[in-house]
Amino acid sequence: MRAPALALGWEFRRRHLWALIAMAGYLLALAAIKLLFLGPMEPIRLDPPDGRAAVVMTPLTATYFYLLAAFSFGLAGDLGARPSIYPARMFALPVRTAALVGWPMLYGTAAVAILWLVTALSARWPWGIELPLIWPALLAAVFLAWTQALMWMPYGLPGLRAIVTVPWLATLDAVALLAIHYRVRELMMVAFLAPQLPLAYVTACSAVGRARRGEVPDWRGVFARPARNAVRTRRRDHFPSPARAQAWFEWRRHGRSLLAMLWLAKDAPAFVFEILFLALITPPFMAACTAWTVSRPNPQVRDSYGVPPFIATRPLTSAELIAAKLKMAIWSTLAAWLLVLVAMPLALEWSGTWPLVTERARRMNDAIGSPRAATVVLLILAGFIVATWQRLVQSLHIGLTGRAWIVKGSVLLTLTFLILLGPIVEWIADTPSVQRVLWNALPLILAGLVALKMSAAAWIATRLDRSRLLGDRAIVAGAACWVLAVLALYGVLVWFFSTPFVARSVLALIAILAVPLARISAAPLALAWNRHR
Amino acid sequence: MSESVVSVSELTRRFGGTTALDSVSVSLPRGAVYGLVGANGAGKTTLIRHILGLLRAESGSVRVFGLDPVADPVGVLSRIGYLSEENDLPGWMRVDELIRYTRAFYPAWDDAYAEELRRRFALDYATKITNLSKGQRARAGLLIALAHRPELLVLDEPSSGLDPIVRRDILGAVIRTIAGEGRTVLFSSHLLEEVEQVADHVTMISYGRIVLSAPLDAIKASHRSLNEAFIAHVGSAATPAAEP
Repeated sequence: MRAPALALGWEFRRRHLWALIAMAGYLLALAAIKLLFLGPMEPIRLDPPDGRAAVVMTPLTATYFYLLAAFSFGLAGDLGARPSIYPARMFALPVRTAALVGWPMLYGTAAVAILWLVTALSARWPWGIELPLIWPALLAAVFLAWTQALMWMPYGLPGLRAIVTVPWLATLDAVALLAIHYRVRELMMVAFLAPQLPLAYVTACSAVGRARRGEVPDWRGVFARPARNAVRTRRRDHFPSPARAQAWFEWRRHGRSLLAMLWLAKDAPAFVFEILFLALITPPFMAACTAWTVSRPNPQVRDSYGVPPFIATRPLTSAELIAAKLKMAIWSTLAAWLLVLVAMPLALEWSGTWPLVTERARRMNDAIGSPRAATVVLLILAGFIVATWQRLVQSLHIGLTGRAWIVKGSVLLTLTFLILLGPIVEWIADTPSVQRVLWNALPLILAGLVALKMSAAAWIATRLDRSRLLGDRAIVAGAACWVLAVLALYGVLVWFFSTPFVARSVLALIAILAVPLARISAAPLALAWNRHR
Repeated sequence: MSESVVSVSELTRRFGGTTALDSVSVSLPRGAVYGLVGANGAGKTTLIRHILGLLRAESGSVRVFGLDPVADPVGVLSRIGYLSEENDLPGWMRVDELIRYTRAFYPAWDDAYAEELRRRFALDYATKITNLSKGQRARAGLLIALAHRPELLVLDEPSSGLDPIVRRDILGAVIRTIAGEGRTVLFSSHLLEEVEQVADHVTMISYGRIVLSAPLDAIKASHRSLNEAFIAHVGSAATPAAEP
């Protein structure tokens, strides 16, 4: 391996070997499934995509984004930092900047173009779906090249990288969507896209060249004076307890991510009731997106999945460290919902759609009565708030283990589940006999899930007790609170669904499943396993 | 013999096929400055991580102040000041926030001493940790490790990031002060000259085994210098390079 080009290519191949093998394996499995089970007689629908299309599209899209991150060095770099995320160790290599930029760009653009060609050819055979070959491959390459150029650029302010990159790439995306909408000819698209590759290359060369010379603009001075003044006034405040200090730490570190995500999603367009529904599901959805930050690995330390020594050596128990995270999640949830609950009526009022909502509320009131209507609204609201908090904390028991194989395995399992969900739901929806069987077996299925949950909870409680992570009193108090929450939910469900069609035992099982228990209880165990290796 | 602050007995630790610590037994008397020397990868940090409870003893036992640091992290860590080799202070905090945050964990935090150290180390309250130089970051780490006047100060390769003048003036003074107050210092280093200047007791570790553990005076009596003792017990191949 004498040539720098080969060495650079080897590094990408070596680092992402398993991902490449997984992708190749997936494509082979897909080809086998197509040959053995589907074939040309089984049509696939793309617009809107059916379950089979999702099986194809989801992993290919995930692969595209993985390649985007890998070839722009985004997997290892700090995206929020001002300096270039191009690995600094490579600046000392005895090669020209053009080579440092050119080879990763060439490998990356080739990889994403090949990915598209494979996708398009797989769609053509055996399903016979005619997809354009050239311009989407070019678009993918241009997208990657611009991502590289903008990621490798040094910026004057932290976070500016995302503010510049996202709109730029979104504009490219919008141009492509408009072209599809107006059925622009392939030649025109190629004429628009092809010149962007050298443009992105020149931009990337300039960016890496500046980074190589250590040129990082610094515009933070503009904000320095107000911050200094603020420090003078706040310096003497002290935290009343270690728990409060740790909760403050968690809030500053992760608590505002959900609010920021909500703010980004504030302009989602929709109609009156759709927008209400979207506004309500946005916090839990964004919480799921934000959850990884609560237990995310720390790239600044040697063992990026482990607990940083600064936190691991805090004189707090692992349970107290988790309690701080749970408290932060509560504050974060309440802040996010405050934003939603303030913004929603204002938006309805300003858009003149408030009467529509009140009219719908009046009709519901007439149909089921005031107490039930109020309960429905409160239950839905409480459900969404609890769901937001739950989304934020439910993956702590995975992320805090600090084991890369558990974290990556969990992501893989989730992706697999999401990929398979489409075809399964479609199959159930298309097959009445399956629906009947599932409906009849519903109590058994729920009972099985409850047995699983309670067994896990019992095992976790035993481990918590044996390891002295939680005292007996805390375990009993936690269990009592959980039982009370289940009973309260069961009471509401029984009162609301007073119908002979739904057995009370089913409602009890639903209440047990709905109140979080096992995964949250496992978080201290996961952290202790990570903290004391 | 004085009471042991740290007592490690027959501690063995393996990472996969590599034995990082092999039947290590160490006892740290109260009030001593204890130097842990060895080449890179000898097992110094692994031993320190066991003492802090960041690694669970696979075999053997670790007791700090008579407590198991894994079972009772609060009881142990609240009496320890620790400066990490990785120096992973949160970059988003300002110096004043770092002090304010850290003081909440230690009831014995001495505000006047913290302020004195901050002035001596020339740390500005309003500066973010991420904007500090490597040396300043080490000073900030040292400040929060010292300001609660810990019974045991653990410094893992404290010299990394400090220039020779800072090393001599600050670290030496701090270690002597701490030891003079009857507190215990454990510091790991690969710089024998530095260890020779400040340590009362030296333990040499090589390939996970303790090859020599004795008071510095005794080592000097039997060998001409610590460097010679190191070569004799660890071997010239593993001799730590002198830092400029």
